[in-house]
Amino acid sequence: MAVVGDSGLPHDAGRRDALHHRQRLRRKITEQLKERIGEEDIIAAGPEKKLRIPVKGTKRWQFILDRGKGKGVGQGDGEPGDVLGPPGGKSSPGEAGTEPGEEMYEVWLDMEDVEELLFAELELPRLKPKAQADAEAADTIFNDIARTGPQIDKKATLRENLLRNAKRGQVRIGGIDKPDLRYLSYRELPKPRHKAVIILAMDVSGSMDAGRKRMARLFFYWCVQFLRRRYDQTEIVFVAHTTEAREVTEQEFFGRTESGGTRVSSAFEVAEGMLKVRYPPADWNVYVLHVSDGDNFTADNRRTLELIRRLTGVCSLVGYLEVRPQARGGSHKLSAYYEKEAGGLDGFVHATADDEKALWPALRRFFASDRVEEVVR
Amino acid sequence: MTGYALPDLQEIDERCRVIAIEELGFDVPDVVYHLVRPEEVYFAAANGLPARYSSSRWGAQFDQEYGRYQTGRGRIYELIFNTRPVHAYLMDGNSLVAQTLVIAHCLGHGWVFEHNRWLGAVDRDIMPRVLSAAERIADYMGAHGRDRVEDFLDACHAVAIHQPQAQLIAKSAAPEPEHRPGRFDMLFPEEVAADRARVAEERAALRRRFPRDPEPDLLGFIEHHARGLEDWQRDVISIVHSEQSYFLPQMRTKLLNEGAAVLCHQEICQRLFLPADRYWEYEQLNSGVVQPHAGQVNPYNLGINLLREIMRIATEPDDEERERWSWAGAEDPFDRVRTVLASYDDEALLREFLTPKVCERSRLYAFERVQQDPSRIRVSSRECDAIRDVLIPQHATFGIPYVEIVDADFRGRGELLLEHRHEGIGLDSEYACGTLAEMATLWGKPCTVATVAGKDGAERVWFTGHPDGRSERHDSVPA
Repeated sequence: MAVVGDSGLPHDAGRRDALHHRQRLRRKITEQLKERIGEEDIIAAGPEKKLRIPVKGTKRWQFILDRGKGKGVGQGDGEPGDVLGPPGGKSSPGEAGTEPGEEMYEVWLDMEDVEELLFAELELPRLKPKAQADAEAADTIFNDIARTGPQIDKKATLRENLLRNAKRGQVRIGGIDKPDLRYLSYRELPKPRHKAVIILAMDVSGSMDAGRKRMARLFFYWCVQFLRRRYDQTEIVFVAHTTEAREVTEQEFFGRTESGGTRVSSAFEVAEGMLKVRYPPADWNVYVLHVSDGDNFTADNRRTLELIRRLTGVCSLVGYLEVRPQARGGSHKLSAYYEKEAGGLDGFVHATADDEKALWPALRRFFASDRVEEVVR
Repeated sequence: MTGYALPDLQEIDERCRVIAIEELGFDVPDVVYHLVRPEEVYFAAANGLPARYSSSRWGAQFDQEYGRYQTGRGRIYELIFNTRPVHAYLMDGNSLVAQTLVIAHCLGHGWVFEHNRWLGAVDRDIMPRVLSAAERIADYMGAHGRDRVEDFLDACHAVAIHQPQAQLIAKSAAPEPEHRPGRFDMLFPEEVAADRARVAEERAALRRRFPRDPEPDLLGFIEHHARGLEDWQRDVISIVHSEQSYFLPQMRTKLLNEGAAVLCHQEICQRLFLPADRYWEYEQLNSGVVQPHAGQVNPYNLGINLLREIMRIATEPDDEERERWSWAGAEDPFDRVRTVLASYDDEALLREFLTPKVCERSRLYAFERVQQDPSRIRVSSRECDAIRDVLIPQHATFGIPYVEIVDADFRGRGELLLEHRHEGIGLDSEYACGTLAEMATLWGKPCTVATVAGKDGAERVWFTGHPDGRSERHDSVPA
C-alpha cells in the first residue's frame, strides 16, 4: 500500500522517556541513601572505595513461578544429563515469559556521588551576609556590553545592526559592520562572604551507651561531611560535655568515651563563651547543635533553657537532637521539657531520633533550606 | 547511502503482494510502512504500541534495547502493529534485501491479524484510544506530579497481565444450593426442617461471599471495587487494563503469527528470483531469523517448523498420518496452513502438530533448572512427550501463574485474598511480595496470596503485601 518516510511519532519521544527513567532512578537512589546513612559500610567506604547500591523499586514486579523450580524447553545441542550455561535471552516487550522482567539496577557510587545526591536538599538556614567581608572574595560575572573586548556578544551585535538599519529606513539584519560590534564585558562583583561557625556539642556522659553514642556520632559525621562539602569556609568547633564541657579536637570528639553525670548547660556556657571571644555574632553566622540522650540533671534544665533563649537571640540556629535507640522516652527527658517550655521559640529546633532511619529526617530539620522552613517546623 | 528510495520499497511491496495473493493464495491486507530512524523503531518497540503515554517504563526498555543495538548486540528488523490499517516500521539504513525480507514477512503477519479468530477479538481501532489515553495521563502527571502517576502506573502494570484469557468462553455462575421438596417430606418434618436450615445457611454464606465466584481479572476487580481511589486513578487503571487486553491475544498466537510471517517471507523471496549475491544475503538473514536459541525456544524457528510439518502432512503423509487426518495427502498445503492459521491458537497448534519430527527439526529438548544454580539448566529429555508436557502448558498460560481473587473481605477487614491455582510449583517469594505490595497500594489495604512451597509444593504458604511497601511470609493462614 503505502510507504511513508515518517513514523507519525514525536521524534524525541524515546530520549524523553529515557531521561525520565534516569531521573526517576536517581531519585530512587537518593531515597535509599537517606535510609542507609546509618549503615557502617557507607561511612567505612572512605573517599576512594566505591559503594554498591542495589536500587530497590526498579524491578518490574509480577507474579512468577518459583525460580529454580521451573522446567523449560530449549533448542540446540545437548544430550540428556548435560548441564548448560545460563538460559539466554529475555522476553520481548509487551510479553511476559517465565522469566520476570528482570531489570535490577546496581549503581556504583563513590563518596562524592553519595554526598552530592544527599546534600542537594540541605542548606544552612538563615545564612546572612556578615559585615567583615573578605576583600578577595569576588565573583566575575559577564553582565555588561562594551564596544571593545575579546568576546563578541552576537545577540547585542545583531540588535545593534537592526537598530542601525532601522534608522536608515530598512527593517532587516545585514551589512554588519564595525559600529555594530558589541562585546561581552565583565565586572567583578564583591561576593558577600557568609562567615559561619558551627558549634557541635555532644553529651559523652555515662548514660550515653554504645548505641546512642553511635547514633550521635553518625549524626555528627554527616553534619561535618555536609558542612565541609557545601560550605568549605565554615569553621567547625567540637565540644564534649559531661557535667563540665570543653572544646576538643575532631579526633577526640569522635573517639571519646567518658563517664559521669550530665549537666547540659555546661555545653551552652562554653558556646556562649566562644561567641564573646572568638566568634562575635556581629561578624559570624553561628549555629549550635547539641546531641544527647535526653537525661539531664533536672535542676539544670531551667538554666539550660535560659542559655538557649539567650543564644537564639544572637545565633542563626540552635538545634537539639535526642537519640534514644530504645525509645523509652519519658516526661523527664529534655525533649519533653523543651516541648513544654520552649515550644515556638524562634531559632530553636529540636528533634528526636529513635533509630538510624530517623537521622536523615533530623538532618533535614536542622538544615532545611529557608524556603521550606515553614513546612518543616 | 543505502541505495534506494521510498518508491523502490513501494515497488517491492507491490511485487510481494502479487506473489502472496496470486501464487500463495494469501489475500493479504494493506500494510502502511513507515521508514524511520532506528531510534524510533526501538522506541515504538519499547512502547508496544506507537504513541502510547509517556512513561519512564518505556524509557527504561528503550535505554536497554537501543543500547544493545548501538553496541551491536541486537537488531530489530521489523515492527508491526495489529491496527486498522496495519502499520509496520522499517528501519532506515537496512539494506534493500533486508527490507524486502521484512516487507514479505509483514504480509504474513497482516494476513494472520486479519483472519485469526483469536486476534479478531482485538480492538483494531485502538489508536484513537491510545492517543486519548496518552493525553489524559500527561494531564494527570501535570496535576498530580509525574512521580506519583508513574508509581501508580507501575502498580497497575504489576497485576495487569492477570485477565481472563479466553474471552470466547464465559464461565457460568456457581449454582446456589436449594432444598428440593420430596414426596415423603411430610413424614420427616424434623429432617426436612434441618435440611432447609442448612440450605438457608449455605445460601446466606454464599451471598455474603464477595466475590461470589473467584475473580481472575485482578485489575478489573480493583477498578470496580476498590474504595478510596481518586477519579484519575480509576481512569489510569482502566487505561492499563484495556491496553493490556490488546496484547493478550497476540501472546496466545505468537508461534502461529511468527510462523506465518516466516512462511510468507520464505515463499515470497524464493519467487522473487533475486540475483545470486542478493539471494545469498537473503539466505544469511533468513537463517539468522530462524536459528535455534539455546535455553529457550525461538518462536520463528518453532513456528515455521510446525507450519512446514502441516504442509508436509498435506502433501506427503505416511500411513499413520493418513489415518489421523482426513485431509492428509489430499489438500493444497497453503490451504491447510491457512485453515490452521485462521482458527488455531498456539496451544491447539502444539497439541495437534508438535510431533517427534518437529521436535527433531527444531532440535528441542526439555530441561530442568540446576538446584544449586538456577541460572544453569540440565537437559532432561529429548523425547517428544516430555517436551510436549512442558511446552503445551507453557503456551496455555504464557507462563503466567494463574491467580484469582477469592475474598475481598479477608480477615473481616476488607483485605484481598488471592489463591494461586498451582500445579505443584509455587510462586516466587520475592516477586510475590513485591507484586502484592504494589497491588496493596491500588486496593488501599493489605493483599495476601495463598500458594505453595517446598518440594512438589507440599507446604502451604501465604505472602502478604502492605500499602506502605512492607511484605511478609506466613506459614499458616494469617489471622
